[in-house]
Amino acid sequence: MTVAGKLVPVQAAYDDLLQRSLAKLPGDLARLIYLASTRDYNTGTYHHDGLAARFRPDAAGKALGIAHRDIFYRLSAYSLEQLVEELELYLNSSHESPADVLQIWQKLEPYRVAIPLDVNPAMARLFLSNVRLALAIWRHRQKQALEPR
Amino acid sequence: MMGAPLTILASFTLLGILLLMVRGFSAARGANLESDYPLFDYPADYPPCPCQFVARVFSNDDSRYVLAINSPALAKLFQRERKQVALAWVRQTSAAIQRTMREHKQVSRTSHDLDAGTEFKLLLLYSELILLCGVLFVAVGSVGPLGLRRLADYAETHSQRLATVHQTVKTAAGSRELPRAGAA
Repeated sequence: MTVAGKLVPVQAAYDDLLQRSLAKLPGDLARLIYLASTRDYNTGTYHHDGLAARFRPDAAGKALGIAHRDIFYRLSAYSLEQLVEELELYLNSSHESPADVLQIWQKLEPYRVAIPLDVNPAMARLFLSNVRLALAIWRHRQKQALEPR
Repeated sequence: MMGAPLTILASFTLLGILLLMVRGFSAARGANLESDYPLFDYPADYPPCPCQFVARVFSNDDSRYVLAINSPALAKLFQRERKQVALAWVRQTSAAIQRTMREHKQVSRTSHDLDAGTEFKLLLLYSELILLCGVLFVAVGSVGPLGLRRLADYAETHSQRLATVHQTVKTAAGSRELPRAGAA
């Protein structure tokens, strides 16, 4: 198979993923968490049954990996203000209580596993740090909102 | 009369430069111990740092936002976090510069027709970058990354230039070696 022949299904799977699955999610943080959840903890490979059925499983896996990296880099370059807004959007769209999710995120730091495998380590570090800061800012705002005036 | 003070001043300046270079050189060490993300598991494999990194970490934009919240605890947390991230970047940059020069040394050993001018320029650039890493390491460690954007931009751009020049020399040396191998 030619190189172009190999790339086309990946590009098509990537476009399909953006239009069908990712477009429905509220914000880039939700997209990052969703994409990380399609990755196998043991092997690091990505799986998505619907995408694999429409395209080949390997093309689907590659498309998921590319989308994961793209969204990670986009989110890592967000200003702190934008990231706090993203976090707020994510917490409010969650089916759980935002305060509970916030507490778990601060304690367990589950967003650590949302980092793609092959990204620049300094960028990964910036992402972790920014999420920690965004959580602290959101918590501070919640406390202020609860305080009697 | 002015000779002795000038000599002392020059000696201290030279000593300061040397100490900063040592600091810049050793910046790459100990990154695994201090980092909460495995920085150097596969040093040759990781992709280059996107240009947005320096713009985000070394600029005042996020700092202004945090200061506007008016919480000393948040401001302190922000300063601590950004300092750690910036130091991790200095370590990574220093390690990348040293890796490039190590590779270049290997290429130079086997290459038969090196250009002395290019080699001298590379050595100067390498020394300058290591000195800059030392300055950045000390400055970030003492006052944080804010206000150091121009220096960081310079280090980022020129470390990439060093890597590009090395690649050019490596490719040229490789293409010159091929006909020799063919002839043998």
